[in-house]
Amino acid sequence: MAAKSKKDLLVANAILAPLDWVDERTGAVRGTKWFLFRNVPRDVSWAQTLGSAALTAFIVQTLTGVILAMYYEPSSSIDPITGKPIAYSSIEAITNELTLGWLVRGMHRWGASVFIILLFLHMGRVFLFGAYKYPRELTWITGVFILATGMLLGFTGYLLPWDQTAYWATVVGINLNGTAPFAGPWLAQFLAGGPEIGSDALAKWYALHMLVLPGAIIGLIGVHIYLVTRLGVSSPPWSSEEAGRERPPVQTTGTRSGLVRGGGGGD
Amino acid sequence: MARDLGELNREDFARYKDDVKKEGKPFFPRAIFHDTVMSFIVVCVITALAVIWYYDADGVKPGILGPWYTEPADPGTTDFVPRPDWYFYFLFYLLRIFKWPETVFIATVGIPTIGLMLLIGLPFYDRRRERRPLHRPVAMVAAVLTILSMAVLTWKGATAKEALGSELVTLVPKWAEEQGFADNPEAVKGAELFAQSGCLNCHTYMGQGAGNLGAPNLSEIGATNDASYFVQYLTNPAAFGNTVMGSYAYLGQENLAALGDFLAASKGTSSK
Ligand code: HEC
Ligand code: HEM
Repeated sequence: MAAKSKKDLLVANAILAPLDWVDERTGAVRGTKWFLFRNVPRDVSWAQTLGSAALTAFIVQTLTGVILAMYYEPSSSIDPITGKPIAYSSIEAITNELTLGWLVRGMHRWGASVFIILLFLHMGRVFLFGAYKYPRELTWITGVFILATGMLLGFTGYLLPWDQTAYWATVVGINLNGTAPFAGPWLAQFLAGGPEIGSDALAKWYALHMLVLPGAIIGLIGVHIYLVTRLGVSSPPWSSEEAGRERPPVQTTGTRSGLVRGGGGGD
Repeated sequence: MARDLGELNREDFARYKDDVKKEGKPFFPRAIFHDTVMSFIVVCVITALAVIWYYDADGVKPGILGPWYTEPADPGTTDFVPRPDWYFYFLFYLLRIFKWPETVFIATVGIPTIGLMLLIGLPFYDRRRERRPLHRPVAMVAAVLTILSMAVLTWKGATAKEALGSELVTLVPKWAEEQGFADNPEAVKGAELFAQSGCLNCHTYMGQGAGNLGAPNLSEIGATNDASYFVQYLTNPAAFGNTVMGSYAYLGQENLAALGDFLAASKGTSSK
């Protein structure tokens, strides 16, 4: 027995003490507990997994994107060796020469479509459940911005291989921007990087695609998930076990519902 | 006592919190189990798509999921029908519906902006407490209509056919014959560029082309102006009040000059 408690002590010193040290300064341990050890409604099930599925697809995009960024070169100048644009040659090299490069690129490319589909499905389920209503309005709004940013990510990424598909779709896209009143022509000029769509444009789109937009979407996702944790996920509204369902008058006359006021973060 | 919406809402949510606390299940590990299974499926699907894409295609030769890449971008020759990624097809197709120049920005900017506003505003104009779908007929009908129209537009966008530049270019000798510029190699070169540069996605010429977005028939355009004017026009259509047509400056001076000659030589079949 004495040996065991000595071991316990060791564990406490080696693991718990550092954790306590960090927690005292950051609240990280309490935060993680707050996130993990909470209750969700009893009838929460597959429909409510679409949000975390979208998160997974996004994480796949981030990881594969970082790897691609190590080998991709955003330049439309001609590579003297291959005689093709440098960006195009680097994509060719990733696909054909880099070990498993094709897999990384393929997952990034198809992950983008899967991500967008999951966003639409997730949004559909939130709409069906009426889960955008009080108090989850801001969760919904951050979601709409995530969707818009996600589509822009897809649009900016499409140009990067610098092949015919990419180039011409982008020319059309930029020309469309140009039709907007007031800011349109200016925006088109900025995105095209000059009268001719070339290296300038590629560098700008690359910066948008791998810095600006991911930064924005990560911030939005953070707020979104914080709100979801704070407010809780809603039950299917047709469920007989729905959390928050109206009770027959006899039950609700008790004191309990009036006292527990909403908005609680806490735990 | 009449109770206002805010108060009722707060009561609902208080009851929700209470129920979750008393009858709910722990997020970890119960709910997170579902999440993990679903995430696993997502990663598998993405991997499977990547594998099918890679093994079915070969370089620029497409498989069922398309090629690895198409030919390198080439601003000069444009024998290529522009296609955005599939989730922009609906926008792409909207453009063909709004054909007149004054209305183009309705499709490109107006409809997406309104859509975004409607989405953002949803929790504010749909303020009822009711959450059951069958008791929200307006919301459900609106949702079904939105999904249907998006699906139709996406489908139409996916299957829309433009004449390929390579098909149009075979008509150049006929044009040259009828317009009488067959002995002018510059104009013939311009005609080939014209056929391949997507001009006919908007304009019509000698019975070809789409007549989209209010673009005029160019069969007799040479009667109005000379070659240098057209070169200026193509370099910067916006300066001529044309915000629909993009700049073609990227074609380069030489190509633009050829296009200019071609346009100037297109005086219509009657005036030959
Ligand atoms: C996106 C659609 C679109 C494309 C693509 C397009 N145009 Fe146009 N173009 C227009 C529209 C719309 C007008 C009429 C603008 C107006 O009336 O102000 C126009 C006007 C013109 C005019 C002036 C006509 C006049 O009456 O003075 C010329 C010349 C012209 N286009 C040539 C071309 C050539 C050459 C190409 C291909 C290199 C091309 N356009 C591609 C939409 C387009
Ligand atoms: C990267 C994108 C997104 C991620 C990672 C994400 C993540 C999540 C997660 C994990 C949940 C918990 C419940 C569930 O999974 O259904 C959730 C709920 C929610 N999401 Fe998202 N989401 C994203 C995009 C969106 C979009 C595009 C919208 C709508 C426009 C949206 C609106 C909501 C709302 C209103 C809730 C609360 C639902 C409820 O409480 O029942 N989200 N989100």
